[in-house]
Amino acid sequence: MENKPSSSPTSFVDQSVVPGDVVLDLSNMTNQTLKLGGGLRQDCDAISVMKAGKLRFSNPNKYWVESSQKRYVPHAGDSVLGIVVDSKADNFLVDIKGPGLAFLPVLAFEGGTRRNIPRFEIGTLLYVRVVKANPGMNPELSCTDASGKAAEFGQLKDGYMFESSTGLSRMLLSSPTCPVLDALGKKLSFETAVGLNGRVWVFILFLRPSYL
Amino acid sequence: MEFVSPEGLRLDGRRPMEMRQIRAEIGAVTKADGSAVFEMGNTKVIAAVYGPREVQNRSQQINDQALVRCEYSMANFSTGDRMRKPKGDRRSTEISLVIRQTMEACILTHLMPRSQIDIFVQVLQADGGTRSACINAATLALADAGIPMRDLVTSCSSGYLNSTPLLDLNYVEDSAGGPDVTVGFLPKLDKVTLLQMDSKLPIDIFENVMQLAIEGCKAIANYIREIMLENTKQLEYRRGI
Repeated sequence: MENKPSSSPTSFVDQSVVPGDVVLDLSNMTNQTLKLGGGLRQDCDAISVMKAGKLRFSNPNKYWVESSQKRYVPHAGDSVLGIVVDSKADNFLVDIKGPGLAFLPVLAFEGGTRRNIPRFEIGTLLYVRVVKANPGMNPELSCTDASGKAAEFGQLKDGYMFESSTGLSRMLLSSPTCPVLDALGKKLSFETAVGLNGRVWVFILFLRPSYL
Repeated sequence: MEFVSPEGLRLDGRRPMEMRQIRAEIGAVTKADGSAVFEMGNTKVIAAVYGPREVQNRSQQINDQALVRCEYSMANFSTGDRMRKPKGDRRSTEISLVIRQTMEACILTHLMPRSQIDIFVQVLQADGGTRSACINAATLALADAGIPMRDLVTSCSSGYLNSTPLLDLNYVEDSAGGPDVTVGFLPKLDKVTLLQMDSKLPIDIFENVMQLAIEGCKAIANYIREIMLENTKQLEYRRGI
């Protein structure tokens, strides 16, 4: 059974797709610029799916496949939770659940100079921002936001970290606030950091003797 | 020995063009990035995929594409007699190579340079067609891990006994000494990516037998599609979407 590629993309948008599905046929669309996000690739005149997930469309011309996996694909601008694996002269090597280890320059902290380089042991959990993520190169991280301020990035002390899928992380970060966080917030006061790479850190300041 | 009775029934009661019952399950190995169990009749295999991750052996790193490694092994208890050396023997090495080449042709390796993708397939119960079941399981596991692929790879085997093309041979039919054609197929692109045969066949009959295997692959592809769509829906339902 063949699925006929449609020039009207509405038949596939918001539908589940699997690798190999042809979702758009460009031969019927002329003079249009489309932006293809993750999970889609162009094969001559057909746009086909690379990853299983749901096809999404956003006006005016963006298409992408939303999928949830255990491993993370680094993108610039994401906030992630990394674990320090090694430290070199110029960089810390940080594992962010991606295809390669990421580099965190020792000076990428607010007010960072050669004199006050932080010392992170192996296994330290950090909340960092991905600055550059080019394919084939190790991603570059930073503990400051774009303007150079610390802005909550840095080491996460105490607390508890658990792994989740990337889809769950995105849902926890969605706006309006995720209902789970709302409901928990009514019962406890806690601090949480959610990394888009599928790691969540929670720190509860005062634990009442009750079941979660 | 008679493999196809005069009424047209095989040893296990199937018709010549009938495939065994297939069943698949995604996500059986929680520690792996992607995993799947695939059953074809009594043949049961489990596949686990790790990656894309940092290359463990620097000397094997490829600068412009991902390194795909595959290991095929059979559990000691998978066949009737307890096996002494389930991996590292010639057959396992050959099948590992075959599965690796088939999956590598389908994974878009240039998108993940300098990384490594490991595919481990283990046969839990062997009753003929283990190669095909492993490829099908590996496809599901790779899709579960979110590794970009050109298309789903499906595989099925067929043979020719008592002058009849037979689809999906089991162990008894396979060990009869007749030809055994294994086909790996990309359903949407309509391309054959793996073609192997034991024994000999005249070329005109080979066409028919290969076509039969391709039809089997298309049927498996439909089933795999359904399983994956169901799995995607389940994942979204659990996240509350």
